[in-house]
Parts: sequence; C-alpha cells; structure tokens
Amino acid sequence: MLTDLTKLLRTSDLLWAWTGRNIRARYQQSVLGWFWAIVQPAAQVMIFSIVFTLFVPVDTGNIPYPVFSYIAVVPWTFLASSLPDMTDSLVANMGLVGKIYFPREILPVASMLARLLDFVVAAMLLIVLMLIFNMPVFVFGWIFIPVIVAIQIALILGLGLMCAALNVFFRDVRSLLVLGLQLWFYASPIIYPVTMVPEHLRPFYFLNPMAGVIEAYRDVLLNGQMPGLYLAISALVAGALFVFGYWFFKRVEFQFADVV
Amino acid sequence: MTLRVKFENVSKQYRLGLTRSSLPSILAHGAQRLLRRGGPENVSQRDFWALKEINFDLHPGESLALIGRNGAGKTTILKLLANITKPTNGKIESHGQLSALIELGAGFHPDLTGRENIYLNGAILGLSRRQISQRFDEIVDFSELAQFIDTPVKRYSSGMTVRLGFAVASCIEPEILLVDEVLAVGDAPFQQKCMRRIRGLIEQGTSIIFVSHNFYLVQAVCEKALYLKHGQIFHCGSAQEVIRVYEQDLHEERARKFAATEEHLAFDDDSQIEITYVEVCGSNGEQRSEHFSSREAISIRIHYNAYRALGKIHASVFITRADGLTCCMMRTMLDRVELFVDRGCGIVTVTLEPLQLISGSYFAEAWFLNETDSMGITSRPGRSDWFTVKGVGLSYTDTSGVFEPHTRWEHSHNQQGRFSSTNDMILESSVRAVVENSPSC
Repeated sequence: MLTDLTKLLRTSDLLWAWTGRNIRARYQQSVLGWFWAIVQPAAQVMIFSIVFTLFVPVDTGNIPYPVFSYIAVVPWTFLASSLPDMTDSLVANMGLVGKIYFPREILPVASMLARLLDFVVAAMLLIVLMLIFNMPVFVFGWIFIPVIVAIQIALILGLGLMCAALNVFFRDVRSLLVLGLQLWFYASPIIYPVTMVPEHLRPFYFLNPMAGVIEAYRDVLLNGQMPGLYLAISALVAGALFVFGYWFFKRVEFQFADVV
Repeated sequence: MTLRVKFENVSKQYRLGLTRSSLPSILAHGAQRLLRRGGPENVSQRDFWALKEINFDLHPGESLALIGRNGAGKTTILKLLANITKPTNGKIESHGQLSALIELGAGFHPDLTGRENIYLNGAILGLSRRQISQRFDEIVDFSELAQFIDTPVKRYSSGMTVRLGFAVASCIEPEILLVDEVLAVGDAPFQQKCMRRIRGLIEQGTSIIFVSHNFYLVQAVCEKALYLKHGQIFHCGSAQEVIRVYEQDLHEERARKFAATEEHLAFDDDSQIEITYVEVCGSNGEQRSEHFSSREAISIRIHYNAYRALGKIHASVFITRADGLTCCMMRTMLDRVELFVDRGCGIVTVTLEPLQLISGSYFAEAWFLNETDSMGITSRPGRSDWFTVKGVGLSYTDTSGVFEPHTRWEHSHNQQGRFSSTNDMILESSVRAVVENSPSC
C-alpha cells in the first residue's frame, strides 16, 4: 500500500489536473459559481435555525443555534457531497478506465479534493458568523483543526474508495449510499447537541466517526477546549476504514476494465 | 534495451457471468452454486477465452499490426499492454514509456477548453505539467487548432477533437505507442500527417502496435503483422504476407457461409428465374484454379434456370474486392445489350478485356433485373467463388487505387527553356480499355 501511495504521489500532476477539471467543469456556465459552496449549507442552516429555535427548541447552551449548526453542516456537507461524487467517478469515466492506465484512485480522490475546496470556502462563512454573533475566538484551538480535517478526509477516502470500486460491479451502491447518508445525518450531532444523547448510549454513539469529528470542531472552535478521548476513537475508526478502503480498491482495480 | 514488449504464453479469460448486476440474478446464481455443491462445478460455459497462448515480441523501432475480425482479441492485447487488465495466464514484459491513442476524445472534458484539455490529457498519458508546457506550442501547431485553443471542446467537430487527441498522444515521443483504429476520423491530409508522424516516431525508435481494418494504413505503417482468430495467432509474419493470409481465410469462410445459406434458401422462393451459379474463367472459357493476370481477358459466366418465358430482361454484374470495395459494375442496360430469355436454362457471359484490376482477391456477383432495369427478379444474387488477380504490384497494398490501366509514359526535357509550372514534364497516360459484352444463352 505504501508503494501505491508513492505511485499516486508521482502522478500528482494528473491528480491536480483532474481536480481542476472537476472544479472548473462544475462551475462552468453557472452564474453564482463558487458562491454555491456557501449557498447550500447556509440555506440548510437557515431552515434548521427556524425549525429548532422557534418550533422545536433545541438547547445549545450559550451558543447561538445558527453557529452551532453551521459548524456541523459544513463538514457534513463535505462528506455528503464527496461520497456520491467519488462513487460516480469511476463509472462516469469508464471510457477512460477501459482504455488507458493510470492509478485509478486518482478519479475518486480528485472528486474528494474538489469538494474539499468547497469545504474551505464554506468554512470562511463560519468566521463571519462568529463575528456577527460576537463569539469569543479561541486561537489555540486552531492547531487541532488540521488533525480533525485529516481524520475526516481519511474517513471520506476510505468509504469513498470502497463505494467507487463496488459501484463498478453493483450500481445499487449509489442508491444505497444516498439512503445511508440520510440515516447517518440523524446519527450525527448536526441538528442536536451530543448532550441530548442518553448517557449510556454515548460510547456507542462515538463509534460514528462523524460524531467525533463534529463534536471536536465544536469543542475546539466554540467551547475553547481540547477535544476529548472520543476523537481518538474517531481517528481509529477512520484510519481503519481508510486502510481497508484503499486496500480493497487496489485489490479489485484490475477487474474494472473487464466489467465495463 | 533490446526488447520493448514480450508476450509469453499470454491467455486472458473473461467470465461472462461476472456482469450480473441485479439482486435476483445474484441470488439465482448463489442458489445454483449451493445446489451444485459436491458435484463437479460446471464453469466452462461461463468462461470465455479472449486470448489463448499468445507469444510475440517487439523491438525498438518495430511496428506490429494486429489484424482480425471483430472480437478476435486485438483490443484485449492492447488492454493487456496498457496495463488496464491482467492476463489470466502467462507473462507480459514491457519496457519504456507507453502512450496510447485512445478512443476519440475519451480523455477530454467537453466543458473545458482545448488548452485545459491538453494539460489534462497529457497528464493522463503520464506527462508532468512542465513537460506539457514545453511541448504545448508543438501540440497546438500539429493539431492546427491555434485559433480555437480557448474554445470549449464541446464546440469542436469530431475531426478537430481527434486532431487534438493525436497531437497530444504523439508529442510524448513514447517508447511504445498503441494506435487503435482512431485515425479513420480525420480528413485525408490530416491522416497523411499522422502517418508521417508515426513513421517519424518509428525512425526514432518508437515501437508501435497498430490495430486497423484499413490495410492501406497497415501496409503504410507496419512491417510485421499478427492475424488473430478466435483469440489465437493464426498467422504471423510480414504485414504483406499476413494480409494475404487473412484475405484468403476470409474468402474461404465467406464461401462456406454462402454455400450454407445457398442450401438453406434453395427453392423457398417463387421467382421465375434463378441463378444457379456464377463462374469466373479465362476468355476461352477455361476454368482456372490459379490467379488471373490483370493483363488478360476474363469472362464471367452467369448460369441460370428460367422457369417461364420472361422476354426482355437485364443483367448486372459487380466485382467486389476482399476489403469490401465495389470495383466495377457492368450492366446490360448501360451497354445497350438486350437479353431475351425463354423458358429453360442458359448462360450469360460478360468478358472484360483486359481485366485491368490490381493484385488482390475478388468475387463477382450477378443479378437479373426486369425489363426497365428497375427491379431485381432474382430473389438473391448469384455469386462466384473468389478469384485472385496478379497485377504489376505484389498486392493491392503495394499500390493504391483499383485498376491498372495500360500506360505509356513519355518524358521530354528542355534544358534551355524557361521554367514553367506545368510543361516541364509531360506525363501522358493513355487508357485503352475495351469491354465487350457478348451475351449468349
């Protein structure tokens, strides 16, 4: 697997070219262009804020609900938009896959990288929101951010590579993924705080790596405290998924062209 | 390095059952396997050998053509070489950078401009950004698309797309180049440019594997060829020789197939006239098992049974070459010849004097038509066996065109004269062709 990774790095020019292609193609002929990266999570948060402060009030302590949910919606959107893109990436480019060799993981990884850019753009709005709501900024917490982002990327890559490879053989994967993401959304602390999860369920709750990731963002950026042990669980699960997903992908890689 | 590519006993098996993609079929498959547990597993039906024990090697500067019918395994060899798929058995060695002329625009994104696509396609073929930048101007020059380089590729014509694709793939100066029947798209001048480019690469030591059904191109590019049949090497040798073997084999196969349909179709029509057989023979009517010379006269004889008196009818005869080209068409209507047919049997003979076709293999096909020459009155054509013609050139790939006219060349030269654009060399060719049609019954 390490040799696979070095091979991938040697073809990094293709990785960047393909990522650029995805980004440019997505925003070609769209008036709002980059702005869409913000519009989608912002609109979602607006609805959540109306529903969960006015209709079904959710207790978020002293954190304003829009900030509370936006900080979760942004990483969630990163995951929820990357996975379907990655899943489709091989099937959509079967003509290429069947005709010429390059490390196949470039296609799904580039899909993820293109969404990573959206993630960064959307994160900018978080700073604006925190300023608007006049929240304290804990600069020291920012050193954890690369770690949390890395965990999330490992998680996305692991699942995405697996789904992309399986989707070549079984197109059901795409539909299954959409369904899974819907359920996963409610299993993650996006619209509600972790404190609302019954105490005895928490150990299981944090087996969901997204729960750890989101909770860590909140701890670090909003509560001004170190992420707890739960982040280690997330890191373990995400790391294991990444290793397994990549291994699986490389294992079946040479069957892709035979299936077309 | 003395060896670029080596195939050693390479076989590739495809499992036809693998593409099952719906739940019921998976369950059915699983149940079948469960039920069959303990008994001998019957997998042979699902397995398909796309290639069987292929051996060949390729040295720097060599060019190899893969010839064969569709599904013979040509593309599978390219896929194995490109490392897209792995062989089931055997060993493949390849040394050096490999580039492939892939399907028209497969690596292009329609929404991106030509410039962006050059970088993208170059990267897919394994070039770094800097390497592409160095060759960028050369690529644009070659593709003749300077004007449109910042236009999205979706607005390109298919010819423009293939030009860009070829320009990128060939500028890499790869050590191994795979070309899979893509050049057919460009216009003739561009095709010639590509051929020059490919020959240039060969001179520089690039090894080329070329798949094409166009034997002119094969002959122009390749010295060696492999004829693949049902995944096996049927014949291997010089391109010329292999093409000949391929044609020969194709003839025999077609003849067999035709014979089979002939039996099948006999008497299931109610036409009033039937062509029993068509033969090609020398002008004296003698049968010939060997080839005809393009300088001699030949006769095509159409044997028929007429089941009632038909009065005036017309006949037309085609000569078709092995690669499917219709070389000529002889019609009683055009030659103002009248055929009157009574009940009984007879022979219509058309003599070509001289034959004039270039070297190659041909067959003749005959139809009878009604008196206005507008409708066929035989339910199927009569077809001759294949016959071969020996012209001045060794095979039709040696030359181009269809026929060899009688020629007379002259050259007059004037040392003192002014230069002029057209008159300093007079090439005159006189064409004398006499085709007499002498119908008889």
